[in-house]
Amino acid sequence: MIGNNRNIQIRRIFRQNESYLFLVVIAYSTLITSLNPSFLSLENLFDLGKSSAGMGILAIGVFIVLLSGGIDISFAAIAISGQYIAANVLIATGIDNIFFAFLISCSVGIALGAINGLLISSFKIPTLIATLGTLSVFHGALLTIVGSKAINSAQLPDCFKIFGAKDVLILTKANGINYGLSIFTLIFIAVALLTWFFLKHTMLGRGIYAIGGDMNAAERSGFNIAKIQFFIYCYVGFLAGIAGVLHISLIRYSNPTYIVGTELSVIAAVVLGGTRITGGSGTIIGTIMGVAMVTILNNSLILVGLSSYWQNFFVGLIIVISVSFTSYQSKRGIGSIILNRN
Amino acid sequence: MAEELLKVQNISKSYVGVQALDNVSMSINKGEIQSLVGENGSGKSTLIKIIAGVVKPDEGEIIINGKRFQNLHAIDSISEGIQVIYQDLSLFPNLSVAENISLNQMIERKKRFINWKEIKSIATEELSNIKKELDLNERVENISIANKQLVAICRALTQDAKLIIMDEPTTAITKGEIDRLFSVILALKKKGISTLFVSHKLSEVLQISEKVTVIRDGKLVGVYNTKELDYDTLSFYMSGKKIVDSVFDYQEKERQKEPLLEVKNLSKKGNFQNINFKVQSGEIIGITGILGSGRTELALSLFGLNKPDSGEIYINGKLVKINSPQNAIDLGLSYLPEDRLNQGLFVKQSIQDNAIVTILKRLLNKFRLLSDSKKYKSAKEWVEELNVITPSLEAAAQALSGGNQQRLVIAKWLATNPKIFILDSPTVGIDIASKSNIHNIIKGLANKGMGVIIISDEIPETIHNCNRVVVMKEGRIVKEVDTADITEDELFNILARKNK
Repeated sequence: MIGNNRNIQIRRIFRQNESYLFLVVIAYSTLITSLNPSFLSLENLFDLGKSSAGMGILAIGVFIVLLSGGIDISFAAIAISGQYIAANVLIATGIDNIFFAFLISCSVGIALGAINGLLISSFKIPTLIATLGTLSVFHGALLTIVGSKAINSAQLPDCFKIFGAKDVLILTKANGINYGLSIFTLIFIAVALLTWFFLKHTMLGRGIYAIGGDMNAAERSGFNIAKIQFFIYCYVGFLAGIAGVLHISLIRYSNPTYIVGTELSVIAAVVLGGTRITGGSGTIIGTIMGVAMVTILNNSLILVGLSSYWQNFFVGLIIVISVSFTSYQSKRGIGSIILNRN
Repeated sequence: MAEELLKVQNISKSYVGVQALDNVSMSINKGEIQSLVGENGSGKSTLIKIIAGVVKPDEGEIIINGKRFQNLHAIDSISEGIQVIYQDLSLFPNLSVAENISLNQMIERKKRFINWKEIKSIATEELSNIKKELDLNERVENISIANKQLVAICRALTQDAKLIIMDEPTTAITKGEIDRLFSVILALKKKGISTLFVSHKLSEVLQISEKVTVIRDGKLVGVYNTKELDYDTLSFYMSGKKIVDSVFDYQEKERQKEPLLEVKNLSKKGNFQNINFKVQSGEIIGITGILGSGRTELALSLFGLNKPDSGEIYINGKLVKINSPQNAIDLGLSYLPEDRLNQGLFVKQSIQDNAIVTILKRLLNKFRLLSDSKKYKSAKEWVEELNVITPSLEAAAQALSGGNQQRLVIAKWLATNPKIFILDSPTVGIDIASKSNIHNIIKGLANKGMGVIIISDEIPETIHNCNRVVVMKEGRIVKEVDTADITEDELFNILARKNK
């Protein structure tokens, strides 16, 4: 029976993890602002939007992989490969152009992603094992073949520095200092919108949900699973390529050992955002909120003066608590379904 | 002369050394409701898969709508209007009702973009075709199994189905839901859509179908008009054996002071409420009810796997707390789970290891390590005792047939020397001959003084094997009755009746 429609909708909203996360983000922000009022200033928020854009783009990649029922842990190695190769090519050729940097970084990303995609779609290797292997292969190849020397700020092509400082909206504080909304944030928003659109409105996107929900059913329905999987890992590679360029432009430095090692906190942010680790369920909004939560947490710890070692501790703690909470919720949900069905 | 929709001729198929189908032919007319009947392993599912184009036959041909197919592909079968609803339904739990209904059609039409309005209008139309209302936005994982089935039927209809093949559709739904499913099948018939109802539940087969095709051991037994059949003849055709189930006759030997097991006011929120019953030594109690009635949850609670919220459990008159399976075993309880392959056995381990897994502590040598010779001796003894037929104790448990596997599970529990044995659906997926053998083993145990609880939704099984039966519905006991005082039909009606 279809009961009160509005009631059902409201209940559905409260069943979603994002809703709780949203409340937590708000509550936490309020708390931090009361300790340090500069937290909620527009300047700090713009700053957060800039520094978290790279992580956000990686998180969207991870989100899609988790949605399809897989997992990718090689994306950080892909991001640094794209970045480091792009920077080296720009230096070697003397072409000082940010679009060229994106082109190279994203091409490297797609190529490496395609390797993952091939391994997973044609050899049916479990995604964790495949990407665990390629993580080492990609990173090892980068360090031995391309090089292991860091590129410092003086050697770095100017286009990265200009791009890193580019603001699209400039405001002036009372004391005359300018601050602005970084182009990074816009790129992140564009990636999020693009991904949302193709997940929601294309057959390919629905195919990703479908294989995450039930791989066998998807096959019987006529989805081309190999093609979908191949696409997913190429797309993750592409996003990693973008994130690689954002990262180098942000810190004006490239060290081929950077980014690798941050995989788990990116995956953690996505899971925190309510994406099921078993696949099939999750939203872009949730993912953005997961990233926001982790970013705010890290930032606020600095604002209240705790050492960065505490960051790991708190990120971990939050994940354990939030995942326990969702798991407990869904368990109770099943019980009530058994009792209520007719 | 009715128009022939599908004809399969002289189909044979063998898998490595096993003849799954041997020269089988059958045909289905337009608008006909036919049943395909056979025991587990008779070749039913292979035949369906061949018709669906998923499995290629070694020999024989398939004619659909007058077109001959030597090499039928899944896509041909679908475009000729054949839709299979597999037992697992192949739905996407994470997607909405509307999307589950419409998505396949979108794929078939090679759509690149999704038009959500269209998705909803298709779903609304198909649901109204079968006169059913469902919340289109609800995720399929949150709706009942019967409704999932209707979603799968609607999905088949979106692809211009001319024949819908339903593989064991009634396993997990209630009597009322079965009736609703049957009315949908009849409505489809009016639209000229045929149904092939694949089942081993003979009473349902007799109720719904016009024609019955019976296969046994991969061979066609015959095609019969349902009017010419009754339950016993159909059962005989299906199994090839006349099975006489002796009725269990419980004689209270001496006045027992205390019941072996007594459950008082046992409740767990969302599972079951206010459960009271007793089991005397030598009794076989049946607990019946549909999937989701709380029967399995209750059994799990007795075995320490599902902590109840309130209530008491007494064993031999003593109040006990059962917090873990280890507790339960120490108190003399054993539990044979419904899902033999995942919960009852370590299917990849050897028969020997499976047989002794419950009694490892008794098989230690003087260094407190497992003794190989004791292991072997004990396993051999139990395997022989229960007549598990195997060439070697070293073979993996998955190599055994269903009946032998179940005897092995019983053996491993008997090794613990239980006083109370709870068997959850002990003969699911087991052929008729092994079934009656397992029933006899159970009766033998009760005659030696064990208290037995059989959980089953097969009414004949409970009537023939139990002296008392408890009916559960939505978590409550609605009836407790001596099996001598009730007929199968009466029990069936109690189970089917709506509450209050």
